[in-house]
Amino acid sequence: MILHLNHTRRESAAPTAADVVNAVLALLAEKDIEPAQFARLQIYLDWLQYKENFREPVTVTLPAENRGGRFPSEIRVDSRRVEPGAFLGTLRKAICSAKAAERDSAGRIYLEEFHSFRESIAWQFNRLYWQRLREWEAASGKPYEQALPGGKSDGHNPEAIADSVAEFWTLLKDLEARNQLPPEVFLLEIGVGMGTRARMWLDRFAQLDRERGTNFYPRLRFLLGDYSLSTLERSRSTVKEHLELCSSIALDALDPIKTLSFLRHKILYVHSTNTYDNLPDEEVVWRGNRIYWVWARAYLTGGDAARIATLCGVQPADLARTIHRLLDVGPECLPDRGKGMLFWMEVWKALRTEERLVDTLEMPDVPYPAGLSATQLEDILQDAPAELRFHLSTGALESFRNTLPLLHPRGYLQVQDIFVTDLHEYTMGFYGPGKLDGSIVNWVNGALLREVAERSGYNIHFVPFKYRPDSKTSILYTTQRE
Amino acid sequence: MKLPLLPTTMVGSYSMPGWLERLKTDYFARRISRNDLDDIHDTVVKAAIKDQEIAGLDIVTDGELRRDNMIDYFLERLPGVQIDRSSKKFYYDFYDSEVVGKIPMASLGLVQDFKFLLEYTERVPKICITGPHSLTKRIRNKYYPNEAALATDIARVMNMELKELVKAGARMIQIDEPYYSGFPEDLDWGVGVLNILVDGVDAKIAVHICYGNRYGKPSWEGSYRYLFPRILDAKIQQLSLEFARRGGEDLELFREFNVPFELGAGVIDVKTHLAETPDIVAQRIRKVLEFVPADRVVILPDCGLFHVPRDTAFAKLRAMVQGAHIVRKEIGDRSD
Repeated sequence: MILHLNHTRRESAAPTAADVVNAVLALLAEKDIEPAQFARLQIYLDWLQYKENFREPVTVTLPAENRGGRFPSEIRVDSRRVEPGAFLGTLRKAICSAKAAERDSAGRIYLEEFHSFRESIAWQFNRLYWQRLREWEAASGKPYEQALPGGKSDGHNPEAIADSVAEFWTLLKDLEARNQLPPEVFLLEIGVGMGTRARMWLDRFAQLDRERGTNFYPRLRFLLGDYSLSTLERSRSTVKEHLELCSSIALDALDPIKTLSFLRHKILYVHSTNTYDNLPDEEVVWRGNRIYWVWARAYLTGGDAARIATLCGVQPADLARTIHRLLDVGPECLPDRGKGMLFWMEVWKALRTEERLVDTLEMPDVPYPAGLSATQLEDILQDAPAELRFHLSTGALESFRNTLPLLHPRGYLQVQDIFVTDLHEYTMGFYGPGKLDGSIVNWVNGALLREVAERSGYNIHFVPFKYRPDSKTSILYTTQRE
Repeated sequence: MKLPLLPTTMVGSYSMPGWLERLKTDYFARRISRNDLDDIHDTVVKAAIKDQEIAGLDIVTDGELRRDNMIDYFLERLPGVQIDRSSKKFYYDFYDSEVVGKIPMASLGLVQDFKFLLEYTERVPKICITGPHSLTKRIRNKYYPNEAALATDIARVMNMELKELVKAGARMIQIDEPYYSGFPEDLDWGVGVLNILVDGVDAKIAVHICYGNRYGKPSWEGSYRYLFPRILDAKIQQLSLEFARRGGEDLELFREFNVPFELGAGVIDVKTHLAETPDIVAQRIRKVLEFVPADRVVILPDCGLFHVPRDTAFAKLRAMVQGAHIVRKEIGDRSD
């Protein structure tokens, strides 16, 4: 057996390594685990960044080749959530559940088949949250920004915005000195939200431009991009002082060039805040020089299913169908809209995923994100730890790759988000997926972004967000790679 | 071989396949031998020549597929330039290089590449080399008093090589100087160095100046106006410029300055992976002919096709050839 301690938190790291060894030896003695399986068993003590997530405190992952087999070969423990002293019982229960799940007899209500997490129904919940944000906020009684660490978005930090404006103004000044200042200066905000940052940025730019007498402001063409038309509409009233310079564009953050191809190589500044961490993602495992896909299927435990059915007045047999209806039509899935909201929030809170590892050799047509091939990923992983589970950051990679062609030769991309900047960091923490209010959050695999960027002609740099103490946010920015 | 009106050619490089990129990187990681890589290069160069012939180009190159990028192939061969061979992570990266002493005269070995091209095509061959200004921009200068002095010595070495190429049968030589566009303030000495490079070289000399194609994206933006009138002092016969991606606004400069050179007109956008249609190419050529007479126009892509996938690159070349055919017919040329 190999025990991996994948975090550096000591204070609440229950169970301890000794607890794990004692529990496994006890189960071995009770024949819940056989000696042959014991030899191959790998146990991971993780610390999930988000207490609200999709895992049970102890999960048992059955590798594809063991389908139908009796014993687990991988156990992951969320050290943060296992009660001290309760590990043996929790582990026994998890192993029994895994065996039962193989026979579909664990009492769980499955909501989908196994597939990569990016295809999971969980992302439909995420989409519903953003579509019906106001209703969620009204029901929960708090604006979504309150769910963010620090209670507000780092995107609205006045000092950070002032520095960003000053940097951009300097670029324009340099272009002007070289006779290369375009008559129209295009800027793009991806995921404009309520428009608060755009307004603050433009206010500050107008002020600086006035102070320095440069008259760049009238040249600005500020593109407010968001996938939600209603969000765009709301943002327009926020930037009303600058409307003549602003265009609102319905934009898929995954593919900005699709909408803006007419601005290829023309945009001087692209910015986004807290967008990448909320784009569809999935995980892979690097083990024995092979890549395994982590497949997932969402479920509710039997206990949660029964509780929610009673609470919301849904027949247990109709539960799965009602959940799918929720994702189609929202809280109107139930005749009583209030119950519908309650149903949504309770199901989301209870939503869990079972996992299975699938060898990529079994799925030769597996789609890799744009800019990354299996061969390239294997090359990158040659320098990674031998045993590693990490985010592929599929949505972030796609968005990044599909944004770069928009950049003017002197243009740059800035992304404020939460990044894992070195693959080795994945052996010291587990960075999602977590639940942030009604949405999904994953740290973004900055190490992979860096590799993809280099092949696309950019270097990327991560600067810790210095404007809020203890912020975990970094600012990614691109520079031309020679 | 007599060329038709509006002859077609590549700027130099052809599509670099992903598998060849990996093999080149494998070579740097010492996973394959130099002999194996040379053999692979010979094979892909033959394929690139064949593709150009099938596409119908009148003037062909070797596709530059032996080269890692437009700089290193030459710096490796320039005596006196010290290369840090551990500085590459990916084959396409630039070496770190520096000059710490005077660059001595020596052969660069480009004649061998040209002879290989000559052996495998009966079309008009063209060899392309990176010019001294662009090479100088990638070298850390620790010896010469300034960049112009370094570039001058590089030009002297390369001048000898160009003469060797002419002896081997080269009649068309293209000098690539994209860094002019990034450093227009260098143009004054850049043209002087260019003239040293081509002094006494008995071949048609083209100079290709674009706005960069590193990683398939532009490195700079602006107008070709910076070239004039200084470029008119260059002892060259052809100026090759990009117009497909940037539009034809700068064509007016040819009229304004009564430019005596042939124009290598870029009519294929190499920064998109969408193949043009022959009609679009024909439209772009017609626009060029509003400013330059047809007997002084050569048709080519904006820059090398290095970053364009092979099937798209081939489709673009085909469209370029067909577009040229359309216009030749319109102006009554019967060379097709």
